[in-house]
Amino acid sequence: MKQRIPLIARDQKRLYTWFLIIFAVLFAAATFFTGFNPGVLIANGDAFWSFITEDFLPPALPASGKIANILSSVLVTLALALSSTAVAAVLAFFVSLFGSETISPFPKCAKFVRGFATFLRNIPALVWAFILFSSLGIGTGVGFVALCITSFAFMVRAFVETMEDVSEDCIESLSAVGASFPQRVSQAVLPSCMSGFLSWFLYCIEVNIRASTIVGMVGGGGVGLTLFSYIKSFQYDIALSIILLIAVMVIVVDQITARLRKEIGK
Amino acid sequence: MKDLSIQEKAAPSGFARQKRIPVGCKDKNRATGWFLLGTAVLTVISIAYLGIDWGKLFSRIPDIGVVFWKLLHLDFSNMDLIGSSLLETVSIAVLSLLYSLILGVIFGMLAAKNVFRLPVLSVIVQSFFTFLRAVPTPVWVLLMLVCLGMGPEAGVAGLCVHTTAFFTRSFAQSFESIPDETIEALEATGTSRLSIFCNAIFPTALSQIVAWTGMRLETNFSECAILGMVGAGGIGYVISTSLQGYDYGTAGTAILLVFVIAYLIERIFVRIKKKFR
Amino acid sequence: MEPVLKFQNVTKNYPNGVHALKNVSLEVQEGEFISVIGPSGSGKSTLLRAVNRLIPVSGGEVLVDGEPVSRLRGRKLREMRHKIGMIFQNYNLVYSLSVLQNVLHGRLGYMSGPRGIFGLYSEEDKQAALDLLEEMGMEQFAYHRASDLSGGQKQRVGIARAINQNPRLLLCDEPIASLDPSSSKTIMDLLHEMTRKRNIACIVNLHQLDVALKYSTRIIGLSKGEVVFDGTPEELTGEMIERIYGTSRENLMIGGAKDEAADSLDCA
Repeated sequence: MKQRIPLIARDQKRLYTWFLIIFAVLFAAATFFTGFNPGVLIANGDAFWSFITEDFLPPALPASGKIANILSSVLVTLALALSSTAVAAVLAFFVSLFGSETISPFPKCAKFVRGFATFLRNIPALVWAFILFSSLGIGTGVGFVALCITSFAFMVRAFVETMEDVSEDCIESLSAVGASFPQRVSQAVLPSCMSGFLSWFLYCIEVNIRASTIVGMVGGGGVGLTLFSYIKSFQYDIALSIILLIAVMVIVVDQITARLRKEIGK
Repeated sequence: MKDLSIQEKAAPSGFARQKRIPVGCKDKNRATGWFLLGTAVLTVISIAYLGIDWGKLFSRIPDIGVVFWKLLHLDFSNMDLIGSSLLETVSIAVLSLLYSLILGVIFGMLAAKNVFRLPVLSVIVQSFFTFLRAVPTPVWVLLMLVCLGMGPEAGVAGLCVHTTAFFTRSFAQSFESIPDETIEALEATGTSRLSIFCNAIFPTALSQIVAWTGMRLETNFSECAILGMVGAGGIGYVISTSLQGYDYGTAGTAILLVFVIAYLIERIFVRIKKKFR
Repeated sequence: MEPVLKFQNVTKNYPNGVHALKNVSLEVQEGEFISVIGPSGSGKSTLLRAVNRLIPVSGGEVLVDGEPVSRLRGRKLREMRHKIGMIFQNYNLVYSLSVLQNVLHGRLGYMSGPRGIFGLYSEEDKQAALDLLEEMGMEQFAYHRASDLSGGQKQRVGIARAINQNPRLLLCDEPIASLDPSSSKTIMDLLHEMTRKRNIACIVNLHQLDVALKYSTRIIGLSKGEVVFDGTPEELTGEMIERIYGTSRENLMIGGAKDEAADSLDCA
């Protein structure tokens, strides 16, 4: 047979082939270990649908006395997300100043600070919540601390990256005029990175709204706990109303943060 | 002469009392200041509303140290249980990622405004997935657990809901960032829309798709690790039960492994992103 | 002989109230090399895009090979577009793909079903594309990423993609507007040579008057959506140019090849 004419350069083709092979192997291995069979989903399709249409639909309102409770639990979730993000942001700002080699007065410590943040960040918020529950007991305060830890770690990394992207040149010029560390921070870092910081802060609020719902489910209070209790007591139609409420809450917050981000970025 | 006029402008009254000379831009963006103020006020209100018993919280801080000390006494005796549940967690994360990748490309194609030029379809697909995305993953997994019963199917399906929704939006964004002229050029050759998508739009967006996938694998893994805590299996279940049973050694080992894998995934994808750029 | 392209009283109004084309009628015969000149906003781009219905017209009729374009839908429309190649100012290549893949995009219109969708080109198509690249002196770049090429090289790939369609008509939308003078010459020579050799009718939108005079067999002058001039380069008088651009000649940058342009202007 005639030699086939290739379409792309050989080294590129090799790269793509390797990626495909790795994906295929991962897929096969994961399917093997879990015994996951997409056919099960399709075979159970009927049961699945009847479950949704009979148990979940239509969404129902709980007894009128409970509605106020549910709404106040939404407020708890919102308050938890906002306050923990704000406190974490303030802490993260000061710590991140020491996490960037160009700005930190102790460049040698920068790696250590970043490593610490990486450690905190790579353990999920819910794991933190569980660790804290076992030492501090269950409650809103613990949810607050758990959310603080992860959003603090996330923002340290984001802030350090923002600072290194934006301000290397102006830091250099301010060092050249002989500005001290606080002067450099207030005159160069803050003005040039503020909008970047705030946009990460807003992103973190979006993340934390979802996370505080989850932390709530395992004992942090708020709307997550309410939802969990309804699911546990098989009141799926009411649970569906609460899910819709959560969706509305998240979408509204996303819209607000998007607006604010545009406003600040101007 | 010129200098004089400027001086006059700066101090029109000409009196000895000097006016403060402003140094900022005239049309300074005031939104930032108001935003900071508003956030501060809302934060104070929120903390007051939460009514956290700070005294109690702070008095127990030493306990955190004790728990960490206990966690640090790693206990490897339950390694086979930890290993197998970790493997299950990773597998579920990978599987949900791969299935969502395929679904995400398909739905992203439908949601992007420039692929089929059907605005109504894009809006419907986009808003449907906005709803799915707005509900946190564990909620979906809980619902799937109720529908499908215990097992990997519930985990994969639950994670897929959120991941697909995420991919749909991100991929649609990537597809839409391709210049209209490139698409016009292929339209002018008489290529069908699906062909244009596969031959021009998809290859151009590929590097971004790889980046999104890497980012999502990190998220999926940590989501998957916590699923056990809301009642599904996997490493989260091991962590929560051993913490509740005061078996801190096992919990510490499991948490450490979760951290190591999350960290590895992060490093690997930093590498891959560099290669694909 | 049946004209390749026929405009019958074509008008185009945009929703924002701009009248881009007003009652344009013209015919293009096989093998003609036509330059369309006129100031920015005179409707040159709209004219070209009306041909293959990238922009639908609001009135009148465009006929390609005697077939009215406005009623074509789906497959029929794509079949009409096979016959018309198009070249763009910004090349509009898919930069993440190889040069060869970009050239082969010209064949996509001919491939139906999954073969087209997955880009499974036949060996003959691939060989033809390689031959075409060789003809244009681009064979050593066949496996480079399109993003690694220079502007002139990218435009050559754009031409190869269009020629690879086996078109009857080639539409060029300011093909040299983003190129330096030397690449511009290469591209125009190549366009001229390729279309002559294959007897392809070619319509080029140009801002460079001297280039238009040098290469064209016929020049069309557009002003505010109306055809104000349609004739050979020799017939294009100084007054005509002033009418097309709406300003006197001393306010115009006529172009680099001064004496050539001036010659033909004076003798006209």
